Amino acid sequence: MHSTHQLELFPDRSVTLLLFSNVKNAAALRKKAMEGSIEGALINPAMIVDPFQILVAANKAVHLHKMGKMKTRTLYAEIIFSLSPSNNISDAFKKFGISDSDTAVLIVLVVDREKNVNLADIASQVEGEQVPLDELPQLTDTAKVKKIYKVTPQEEKISTLLDSVVCRMSTKDVL
Amino acid sequence: LPGLQLVQQGAEARVYRGLFLGRAAVAKFRIPKRYRHPALEERLSRRRMAQEARSLLRCRRAGIPAPVVYFVDYVTNSIYLEDIVDSITVQDHINSIQRSGSDTSSLLILAEKMGELLARMHDEDLIHGDLTTSNILLRPPTEKLDLVLIDFGLSFISGLPEDKGVDLYVLEKAFLSTHPDTETMFKALLKTYAATSKKSGPVIKRLDEVRLRGRKRSMIG
Repeated sequence: MHSTHQLELFPDRSVTLLLFSNVKNAAALRKKAMEGSIEGALINPAMIVDPFQILVAANKAVHLHKMGKMKTRTLYAEIIFSLSPSNNISDAFKKFGISDSDTAVLIVLVVDREKNVNLADIASQVEGEQVPLDELPQLTDTAKVKKIYKVTPQEEKISTLLDSVVCRMSTKDVL
Repeated sequence: LPGLQLVQQGAEARVYRGLFLGRAAVAKFRIPKRYRHPALEERLSRRRMAQEARSLLRCRRAGIPAPVVYFVDYVTNSIYLEDIVDSITVQDHINSIQRSGSDTSSLLILAEKMGELLARMHDEDLIHGDLTTSNILLRPPTEKLDLVLIDFGLSFISGLPEDKGVDLYVLEKAFLSTHPDTETMFKALLKTYAATSKKSGPVIKRLDEVRLRGRKRSMIG
C-alpha cells in the first residue's frame, strides 16, 4: 500500500510514503505534528503532483540535514520547506502542511536502514482510510499547483507540470 | 558514486549518467582547478553552478526547452539534471546526414529551427556562452527536429547586442570549423534569427563587427 524508495545519494536512508483519504482528525494530527509527537512529515496531497516531487524534496532535506545546513529545525519540517517555491518557512507550512479542514493526508517518513519503523503504529493514529499511492493524482489540485508554483503558459508547452515543479524546488535557493 | 557511469570529461566538468530517484539523470561534477586560490575556486565554482541552474530555470519559464534541474549540491560541486534519453547532438546529426549524402534540405529546416530557438533565448536576454552544435540536442525521433539546449555553465544574463553578437559568433566559428560546407545552413539560421527576434537588428550589426575582430584579422576601420 505504502511505497518506499531508496535515496541513491544516501544509501542508508529510504523514503516511505503513506496516503490516507477520508481523514476525520486532521486537526488533531496537525497538533501532533507541531508537537513532534508523530513520526513523519504530514503533507497536503492536493499540492503533490507525483511521488517524485516528494523524493526530490526529501533528497534535498536529507542532504542539508547531513551538512548541518537546514533552514528549519527538523528533517520533516525541512522536507515541507523544500517542497515550497518560496523561501518563507511559515508560508511553506501553510500551503504544503496539512490544515484542520483537510480530508486527505500524505505522510512521508525517512528511515535509517537499521531502524525498524512501525508503519501500522503511525497509520493507526490517522482516522481515515489508507489508500495506495496511485490514487494520488485524483487528489491533486492541478490549478492550485500551477498557481503556487507560478508555472507560465509558455512553459506548459514544453514541460510536464511535475518537471516545472521540480525545477523550481531545486533552484529555489539559487535565485 | 553509486551506479553512475562516466560519459564524458571536459575541461570544466565530468559528466555521468545514471538513475536519480528513479529517473534517468545526468550528473555534472565540476573539476576543481587547483591552480586557483581555494577561496576564489570555491566562489567561482559556486557562482558558475548557480548561473547554470538559474539559466536553466529561466529558459524553461520562457518556454525554451532545456533539461530539468533535479538537485544542486554545493558541497561536491555537482548538479543533477534530466537526461534527455536517446537524444543525439546536432553535431552528430549533421555529421551523419552529410556522411550518408542524404537530403540536405532537412539541414536547412534544422538551421531555421536553431535560429528561431536562439532568437527566443536572446530575447529573454539569456546568453548561452558556449554555443556549439554539441550543446544542442535533438530529442527522439530525430525527424521531429525537437531541439533542447544544454550546458549553461558559462551562461549569463545580458541585454547587450555585443554579448548576443558574440554568442552567435562563437556558434558560427564552431559551426564552420566542425562542419564543412555549411555556410548556407548558417545563413539560413541567421535569417530566421533576424526574423524571429524583435531586437535582432543591432545584434546582427554587432556580429558583423565582431567578425572583423579576433585572430588573424586586421584591426582597421
